[in-house]
Amino acid sequence: MAFSAALRDAAKATAIAFGLFVVMVGLRTDVSPTGALFLRTRWTELAMVCALVFAGRLAIGLWVTPRFLTNAGGSLAAPLAKAGAFFGMGLLVVAVVLPAIPGIGRYELDLAILVLTYVMLGWGLNIVVGLAGLLDLGYVAFYAVGAYSYALLAQYFGLSFWVCLPLAGILAAFWGILLGFPVLRLRGDYLAIVTLAFGEIIRIVLLNWVDLTGGPNGISGIPRPTFFGLPFNMSGDPGTFAGFFGLEPSPTHRVVFLYYLILCLALLTNWVTIRIRRQPIGRAWEALREDEVACRALGINVTNTKLTAFALGAMFGGFAGAFFATRQAFISPESFTFIESAIILAIVVLGGLGSQVGVAVAAIVMIGGFELFRDLDEWRMLVFGAAMVIIMVLRPRGLVGSRTPTVALGQKRSIGSDYVSEGRG
Amino acid sequence: MSTTLVPDILSVEELTMRFGGLLAVDRVSFEVPRGTITALIGPNGAGKTTVFNCITGFYRPTGGAVRLTTHEGREVILNTLKDHNIARAGVARTFQNIRLFAGMTALENLLIAQHGPLHRATGFGIGALLGISGYKAAEAAAIERAAEWLRAIGLIARADDPAGSLPYGDQRRLEIARAMCTGPSLLCLDEPAAGLNPRESDDLARLLLSIRDGTATSAAPTSILLIEHDMGIVMRISDHVVVLDHGKKIAEGPPAAIRQDPHVIAAYLGEAEQE
Amino acid sequence: MAYALQQLINGVSLGMIYGLIAVGYTMVYGIIGMINFAHGDIFMIGAFVALTAMVMLVSGGLMEGPAAILLVLAISMAFTALYGWTVERIAYRPLRGSFRLAPLISAIGMSIVLQNFVQVSQGARVKPLEPQLPGGIELMREGTFVVQLSYMQMLIIASTLAVLAIFTWLVTKTPLGRAMRACEQDRKMASLLGIDTDRTISLTFVIGASLAAVAGTLYLLRYGVIDFYIGFLAGVKAFTAAVLGGIGSLPGAVLGGLLIGLIETFWSAYFSVQYKDVAAFSILAIVLIFMPTGLLGRQEVEKV
Repeated sequence: MAFSAALRDAAKATAIAFGLFVVMVGLRTDVSPTGALFLRTRWTELAMVCALVFAGRLAIGLWVTPRFLTNAGGSLAAPLAKAGAFFGMGLLVVAVVLPAIPGIGRYELDLAILVLTYVMLGWGLNIVVGLAGLLDLGYVAFYAVGAYSYALLAQYFGLSFWVCLPLAGILAAFWGILLGFPVLRLRGDYLAIVTLAFGEIIRIVLLNWVDLTGGPNGISGIPRPTFFGLPFNMSGDPGTFAGFFGLEPSPTHRVVFLYYLILCLALLTNWVTIRIRRQPIGRAWEALREDEVACRALGINVTNTKLTAFALGAMFGGFAGAFFATRQAFISPESFTFIESAIILAIVVLGGLGSQVGVAVAAIVMIGGFELFRDLDEWRMLVFGAAMVIIMVLRPRGLVGSRTPTVALGQKRSIGSDYVSEGRG
Repeated sequence: MSTTLVPDILSVEELTMRFGGLLAVDRVSFEVPRGTITALIGPNGAGKTTVFNCITGFYRPTGGAVRLTTHEGREVILNTLKDHNIARAGVARTFQNIRLFAGMTALENLLIAQHGPLHRATGFGIGALLGISGYKAAEAAAIERAAEWLRAIGLIARADDPAGSLPYGDQRRLEIARAMCTGPSLLCLDEPAAGLNPRESDDLARLLLSIRDGTATSAAPTSILLIEHDMGIVMRISDHVVVLDHGKKIAEGPPAAIRQDPHVIAAYLGEAEQE
Repeated sequence: MAYALQQLINGVSLGMIYGLIAVGYTMVYGIIGMINFAHGDIFMIGAFVALTAMVMLVSGGLMEGPAAILLVLAISMAFTALYGWTVERIAYRPLRGSFRLAPLISAIGMSIVLQNFVQVSQGARVKPLEPQLPGGIELMREGTFVVQLSYMQMLIIASTLAVLAIFTWLVTKTPLGRAMRACEQDRKMASLLGIDTDRTISLTFVIGASLAAVAGTLYLLRYGVIDFYIGFLAGVKAFTAAVLGGIGSLPGAVLGGLLIGLIETFWSAYFSVQYKDVAAFSILAIVLIFMPTGLLGRQEVEKV
């Protein structure tokens, strides 16, 4: 772009920025000690923001052509899609040996556990959104059902984690069917908003049913997981993990154990998804995403097919929830807000609908990146939201937009995103 | 209509469809004789597509009955079934604006058509997940059946290409093959020749005749009901023609008789004369 | 009886606010078929701009009373409209014609951005504003219970009706309205007929945002407390209202807003305040299950 044109463009952008920020940045209302509001002016900040916009816009106008913008993601995605299997294997190997890598301490492991939880949630939601094409904005509800199932079963009946884990999954799946049955014939955005509503209903009930759930105070003292009956503690008794194996008691044991637990759970999700995708039911999910009417004409029971996807996705959400509860030892409704659903959905869409590797990478980038910016404090969410917008604008189909066929007579060739439909349901 | 003892494959009785105040189909009755290609024709707005959608379960008729007698001689009242059960009962259909699963390969499209039996073979998803055998054999058979159809429509070389990347004419034939993979007693085609060039139309005509006679693949001979605008192809391949106009049946018979029928000529040319 | 009447008044004035926001959702949905998830936060921005303007006018001693309120309304509409325009330009326009989930994610991202931008720039604390228009008229007295129609509620009802009247005129009688309806029917055809669809869509966002600004201002004046998070719940409820009324239908959005406002108010008054949102959302689910196109929505005939 010519310099004068870029200059004009930047000036225009700055004028708009001034309009946007003059009230919200240039002025600020604060509560005075008397309780009344008073106005503060921050003209320097306003000037700085406007100067920043001017410089940024000018730079984009001069050096970044639109062509570059559209190619920016392509260069990243092509090798990712091609070397998908290798890349996935590499990630897996790193994941398995991670606790043994020197320099990986407690903090890194905790972060890895967090990332893996989101990988698992992303894979679970991927079944619903990515494969079956059902837009679910209330996935966090099943995460909450799983977490509260474990917490309540442990609190009231003293059941152990290993008994509760499958129960939490089954209960979440049950809720998935219960909620899904009436609404799954709704299309697209209606389904999205009803699932969002269900997510909120469950959260509000958890918040207000104080007798059962402790309301906003949540449930604390949730039993920590045991190593198949051997608790982790520092006493060194033969009945504990460290004592039984003759190890020096260390708090890291539990973290490492939790790490491998979530890794196994996530891999289970992955394994089931990959396997089911090659089966009639998985193919029916994808067909449903492509064209629901054609499915009906081929004798596929659309409602049941959608329900299985919904229930299976919910079940993995429930597993993840139970894990979350045992890891934190404390849960409250605050952990299950809409923003969680949005983040999980963002991971699925950013990764590329239906792509297992893409979802894993997206979870690492989003959650890891989010942690990277922890020093930014309250700016962190701002950056996070902006990143969501920018990534979508640059790569609307996510990191991996292509699809691998489930079966082939000859060589399996991946299918470009131009052909793959994103579903309407 | 039919004088043989074999019952007609499909019998439509007093079929009526009303959209609000509009009477789209008014007490239409006709039969699709077994082993024939029956064409449903008529000027635009005659109610062909509505009749078609009632038969295939996409609309629920306001009145009347649609009866299917399957290969095995089982009688099914279609108008009381939900749409996916109509397909399971043995009525397969294609769409006027092709509805393939564009992002899936040709082979996958044909496998999805065999979802019902395959899904049962997997123990509804649970058995195969745990690796219980039985599914492998069922899948191999399904792939063999799909390959047979791909050969029949000349697309075996493109089995692993996404359906959306195929040329238009190939997509039409693939959609027919997909419908046939459900193992239907009756194949319903909604304007199968629309948008095809003369050569592709010829290929299509041959394919339909071979489906009727059971020579396309190892599948049994299958009766066909089709809606078509292209009179050339209708007259060439149909054994039986039903003509609708303004929601009513105005004629029925073999193509040669229909061509001479004054009502039909009036229906098609009448509007032209007034202009 | 008196109690019910009072709830009716409260419910209608709350419903008017929801209705104003819902119109923005339904317009955008009608024209580009996407849930503008950031619309609730546009409403929140409107409330904040109004707060700043109000404090400036009143504490500066420049103006007071109804005249100040009108001016604040105008300021809020102008600045919020700019936000609506910018959001569309940055987050949605580059994704036009792209696949359907992309704009939704981008919208959710934008919603996060707006919320946290306000949190950073204006602080996370709740902002209280003293009542600007106290008092009202007494309608009825039953024992000690007084049914009151406050001036504020009268203002809400009057200004909503006025704004909606202008808006209806805009959509039905002006070339812009015709262009909007044409884009809604068939965007490609409209552009072939020489309608600048980008500009029309931008203007739709501008109008939607100004209506949300009116809602934000009225909300601020009526309830007197706002924070950066009010947009989410109000947005979800307004979207519920739009869906309830039949998405794409403008009268439906207002009707849906009124119903949601009434349901919420009556539920809180007679059953439980905590579960008022559950009531609103449950009604949404029930309506959608039995009436999938909403109350006034067009019946979609499935073409096969």
